[in-house]
Amino acid sequence: MSSRIVIERRWASSPSASPDRGLDRREALALLASGAALALSACSPPREAILPYVETDDVLAVGRLRRFATTVSLGGYGRGVIGRTVDGRPIKLEGSPNHPMSLGSTDVFAEAAILDLYDPNRAKVIEGPNGPTDWTTLSAALRARLAGHESDGGQGFWLVTGRITGPTRLRLIRQAQAKLPAMRWIRYESVHDDNALAGSQLAYGRPLDLAPRFAEADVIVSLGADPLGPGPRQIADARAIMSRRLGSPMSRIYVAESSPSVTGAAADHRLTADPALLRDLLIYLAAGLGAPGFSARLQGSEAQFAQAALADLQAAKGRALVLVGRDASPPAHALAAWINGRLGAPIDAMAPVDPNPEAHGQAFQALMAALGAGQVRTLVVVDANPVYDAPDAKAAANAIGRVPFSLAMTPSLDETSAACHWRAPLAHALESWSDVRGADGAASLVQPLVRPLYDGRPAESLLAVLAGEDDTAPIDLVKSTWGSAAIAAAGQGTSEDGLRIASAQANAGSAGAPQAWWDKSLASGVIPSAPGQAPAAAPVARLVAPAPSPQDGFVLQLRPSPSLWDGRRADNAWLQECPDPLSKEVWGSSLWISAGDAATLGASDGDFVFVGANRRIVKAPVRIMEGQARGVVTLCIGGGRTQAGPIGTNVGVSASPLRGEALAWSASGVRLRKAGGKASFLVTQANYRLSGETEELLPTLTLADLARGERAPSAAEPPSELPRQEPSQYAWAMTIDTQACIGCNACVIACQAENNIPIVGPDDIAMGRTLHWIRIDRYDPGPKGDPHTGFVPIPCMQCEHAPCEPVCPVEASVHDHMGLNDQVYNRCVGTRFCESNCPYKVRRFNFRDYASGRLYGGLDVSGLAAQRNPDVTVRARGVMEKCNYCVQRIAAAKAQEARTGRPIADREVVTACQSACPTRAISFGDLKTAGSQVARTKSDPRHYVLQGDLGTRPRTTYLSRLRNPNPALGWPRAEEDA
Amino acid sequence: MSTQAGEARWICGSPGLGEVADQIARPPLSRPPLGWWIALAGAGALTLAMVIGVTIVFFDGIGTMGNNSFVVWGFPIANYVWWIGIGNAGTLISSMLLLTHQQWRSSINRFAEAMTLFAVSIAGVFPIIHMGRPMYWYWLAPYPNVMSLWPQWRSALVWDFWAILSYLLFSIGFWYVGLIPDMAVMRDKARSWLGKRLFGLFALGWRGSIAQWRQQKSLQKLMAMFAIPLVCSVHSIVGLDFAASLNPGWAETIFPPYFVVGAMFSGFCIVIVLTAVIRGAMHLQDIITVEHFDAMGKICVAASLVMGVSYASEWFSGWYGGSPHDRVFLDFVFKGPYQPLYVAMLCLNVLLPQAMWSPKVRRNIGTMVILAVMINVGMWLERLLIIVETLGHTFLPSNWKLFFPTLIDGAILFGSLGFFAFLFLLLSRVAPLVAIHETEELVARARGL
Repeated sequence: MSSRIVIERRWASSPSASPDRGLDRREALALLASGAALALSACSPPREAILPYVETDDVLAVGRLRRFATTVSLGGYGRGVIGRTVDGRPIKLEGSPNHPMSLGSTDVFAEAAILDLYDPNRAKVIEGPNGPTDWTTLSAALRARLAGHESDGGQGFWLVTGRITGPTRLRLIRQAQAKLPAMRWIRYESVHDDNALAGSQLAYGRPLDLAPRFAEADVIVSLGADPLGPGPRQIADARAIMSRRLGSPMSRIYVAESSPSVTGAAADHRLTADPALLRDLLIYLAAGLGAPGFSARLQGSEAQFAQAALADLQAAKGRALVLVGRDASPPAHALAAWINGRLGAPIDAMAPVDPNPEAHGQAFQALMAALGAGQVRTLVVVDANPVYDAPDAKAAANAIGRVPFSLAMTPSLDETSAACHWRAPLAHALESWSDVRGADGAASLVQPLVRPLYDGRPAESLLAVLAGEDDTAPIDLVKSTWGSAAIAAAGQGTSEDGLRIASAQANAGSAGAPQAWWDKSLASGVIPSAPGQAPAAAPVARLVAPAPSPQDGFVLQLRPSPSLWDGRRADNAWLQECPDPLSKEVWGSSLWISAGDAATLGASDGDFVFVGANRRIVKAPVRIMEGQARGVVTLCIGGGRTQAGPIGTNVGVSASPLRGEALAWSASGVRLRKAGGKASFLVTQANYRLSGETEELLPTLTLADLARGERAPSAAEPPSELPRQEPSQYAWAMTIDTQACIGCNACVIACQAENNIPIVGPDDIAMGRTLHWIRIDRYDPGPKGDPHTGFVPIPCMQCEHAPCEPVCPVEASVHDHMGLNDQVYNRCVGTRFCESNCPYKVRRFNFRDYASGRLYGGLDVSGLAAQRNPDVTVRARGVMEKCNYCVQRIAAAKAQEARTGRPIADREVVTACQSACPTRAISFGDLKTAGSQVARTKSDPRHYVLQGDLGTRPRTTYLSRLRNPNPALGWPRAEEDA
Repeated sequence: MSTQAGEARWICGSPGLGEVADQIARPPLSRPPLGWWIALAGAGALTLAMVIGVTIVFFDGIGTMGNNSFVVWGFPIANYVWWIGIGNAGTLISSMLLLTHQQWRSSINRFAEAMTLFAVSIAGVFPIIHMGRPMYWYWLAPYPNVMSLWPQWRSALVWDFWAILSYLLFSIGFWYVGLIPDMAVMRDKARSWLGKRLFGLFALGWRGSIAQWRQQKSLQKLMAMFAIPLVCSVHSIVGLDFAASLNPGWAETIFPPYFVVGAMFSGFCIVIVLTAVIRGAMHLQDIITVEHFDAMGKICVAASLVMGVSYASEWFSGWYGGSPHDRVFLDFVFKGPYQPLYVAMLCLNVLLPQAMWSPKVRRNIGTMVILAVMINVGMWLERLLIIVETLGHTFLPSNWKLFFPTLIDGAILFGSLGFFAFLFLLLSRVAPLVAIHETEELVARARGL
């Protein structure tokens, strides 16, 4: 069968049925082999039915890709993923279309989670005070400890966890608390929203999760908020916001912020504003909406901005939103809630998905105080890193060392587990049975795709010991959560611990978690049709006035790292080498400062400064950022880990000393002083500014331009005498919408996971080397001070007249019949002429043996190799590599076509970058299929070709940015700038 | 001016016929002096640095050099272009001066040709060590293989491969044809048994008959006629490595002639240095005179003017062409971080050589050597800047990157200079560095014999 295909395809692809030359050796051998195979298959099978082995064992079908739904978490909130596994190895995670918080897409953290599974730095064995041991010993020791606490009811027993939303974990903690009533459960996340919850407490009298329905918002005014930035809601929120930035009617976004963000980059109007001005703007809006006794004085462009925003808000009542940032004070959040109430804003208010009512900062302060006072007698830490988060890490570690019994369950050795007596490896989500809720409350199951690689166990196993259920396997713990007891309680809607299983009962049909219900939930990953947290009854907000902020010294603003989040997975090399969307920094971060403040300080890019806040001092390199407010400096948390393996240790600067024990998001009265020395900046892109003719690299149209029939500028293609290459059956092409791109890097990491792209390490980054096949160029086409930052993702352009092809001396760079510009790795001799001649510089060279041999950090390659995609060659040192539109996925689709005879349908081949993109900015498909998604984009008025004047005829093209400016403010043009 | 006086210009004093031959033939036939050993040790140390550098590159990959993802070429290609430029001059000088009947050629052509051989050989090493997988260098050759794979004929690198190879083979032939009569002289002068046999082997039975002389002279002239277009083609093709691309700053039609002149320029300067060294070390003041330096100085002035015009033409076409990329690039050349290097390059290649207008400068061997070394530094900077400026500043501003060399880059560059000297020192002990028969002819003519 397959031989016939081989022969038919061989001749079908020849220009004529009989070649006009003699057979060459390869063809002769191919025919000989095919003939031999045909002769073999001509033997008749036995009469009796026989079953081939490979098709009996469905799960282990050799080499076949299988997909399983499961969930990975960020900050305790789940995002549904589909794990692609081959031969029992999970190799790639993609977004689960069923899960409301992933919607089929991913973010950098979900994409990089697969590397955590194979991280050579993972904790592998259980360690006790006397060296390596096993689970039985550990659980016996823990049980003995619990028995000791029975007399005092758990006094001095402290359980420290990250945010827990999973019903099973919550149930077990409740049970443990029931057994030991005096036990103290500390739940804290370094990235928290304490101020927002406190704000809703002020406004509504109870804490509420406020989730804007962005898809319904015509006008969004963000005062320091970053809904497009990293976070557990990023995918869903970005998708919703962008759904209104592409379609009509198009929304309008106003952003005022102290420090540049990706949300500011997507705005129609952006104002650089320090926190005091942000507060004034909020008060101005409240006054404009009728808040009695409120007034704010604004001047110049600030007043214009505020007037325009207020007018738009008032005109769009019911479809307008005002957001304030994580670092805004609780009264500011409360006032925003009042404004949104006046506007009738589309916001869902619901009981917090995280049922623990204690504020994260308070909880952490309590923990630090108890540790300092020696009140903790037993400490159990599960997936949290209080030593790193503590302002004084050394003191915290010493305090933990003095605790008589301490146990940390962490994925790898970190600052906290190093200080504890007992260390247990925490199993990866892909090795665990568990359940978790998304930020919207949607519950989903976590199922293992692989048996634990090491001695790790899920958190459930440890919590079960505390709850006295330690004989139960994790799967049964989960099943019993969703089982009869839960279903019995289902009628009441929300059970005590926040379970919502009304529909579970409906689906279950009978008591227990019946097999059919369970199987269906596992297969889809999401508890079927279990709705998110029900919106609370529309509360009316009280009017609260935010207090003025002290005007002394600098304001330090902290934000979660766009690549490391809270630093917990700093040992993930993909994330360390994932550039900051705005500063393009990798392997570390720096203190952002405005050009004016830097000049006052006498500091330039890379100079070290001492930052003093909360009575502590941190030394950090500064970086001048356009769009940073005067008097405000910004630092990402998550850097400067001291125990994060060979990858994450001592990379960047830790912000923990500056945050204080309350884990504050901002500090005022901050002192800066220039320190000696200069840091070497590790950036993947150094030049942003576009001016003059280069503005065509990132064109922007306004809605008014579109209405006038304007099109994105596209340079005329120069005349060519070269014959046009006619694609055979398919002509693959890609269109990237720069309007939808939020610069989040999900595509970069997805490509890295799919295509076996190793990291190069900070030393090679410093030398200007990278390996990412798709990069996101950041450009500032706007006038100085108003950068209009935008993003252009650059994969290979797959030029029809590719400049890289004719210059290769050995024909390693070739064009195939589908228009792909292929790189033949084993033919490449590494002259790099192709990259030298590539106008887009998308080719990547293996300067060192990045994939094996000498990995950065001296890591062992054997574990990491298991992550690799078996359909993609691992490239050797000295060869060039590049994006090939995930040719392995195209090949799989073509193999399917060869089996079934059905042509490849539109959107059947999805590239890794396309699948990851939260905003669906990437269209990919066949140009020859009339009406295909990608073919339609080519006639869009926003369509433009990057460097079209070079005559390269790229297959990857772009859609320009689109802005919807308020006519009162207008959209500055380059000419006006001049 | 009589012929006699014309020839006498190139001879100082009145050396006897045999004296000249003896002086030239002495080093290969005698024990090396201490100075030679010291020089060899110095050159050997640098050679060792190059060997270590190349070994590290072979074992650890070209990640040990300064090249980055955007400036994919760096020192090796700059060195290659520089060395092959030097290699060009030897054959060019020898053949052009032969065809134009410049008698002063006789005193310098032999070592100028040897310079070509060594420089081209060294140049040929760089494209191989710059490759990601140097063990497959032969894939650029159309050798028969089971996969029926051929090189890609459209690539300038394949043209380069043939250009270097044919030039090297031709240069060896040209050098050897001129060497045959001298080998016979050495055979006759050699005392040792082995020396007689080896020199005899390479003398190919030369007896000095009129027929042999006629054949040797006509073959040499014929080869000289071939040599000139070949020399032009070699460096034109090197120019095409850059010009046959679409990068701003490279895609210019002036590149081939501009590269040929640049090659002649830097090569002549190396010849000036070699002439001074050989004149002093071998005590050839009689047959290598200040007149030689004077003549070479004039050629250098002419070449520097052509270089100046070429640079100006680059700026003009960049500006006048109106392409935004070219203008952005030009702006970068004059105002970017490489500006000091670029200004230095212009001074060394165009401004400084103007001193050679003065006969005083041309006729002072010391100043000529200093100028020649400076010009070669300038020419090397030119080659480096051609690469790092263009590749570091292409179409997309996001790809703008600077280039920083590593220690390995430096070791290989300076090591290659040492290796060149090393080869010359060895050659001086096995073959006459100056053409015996041609200088004797010159001396004879000068005396009116």
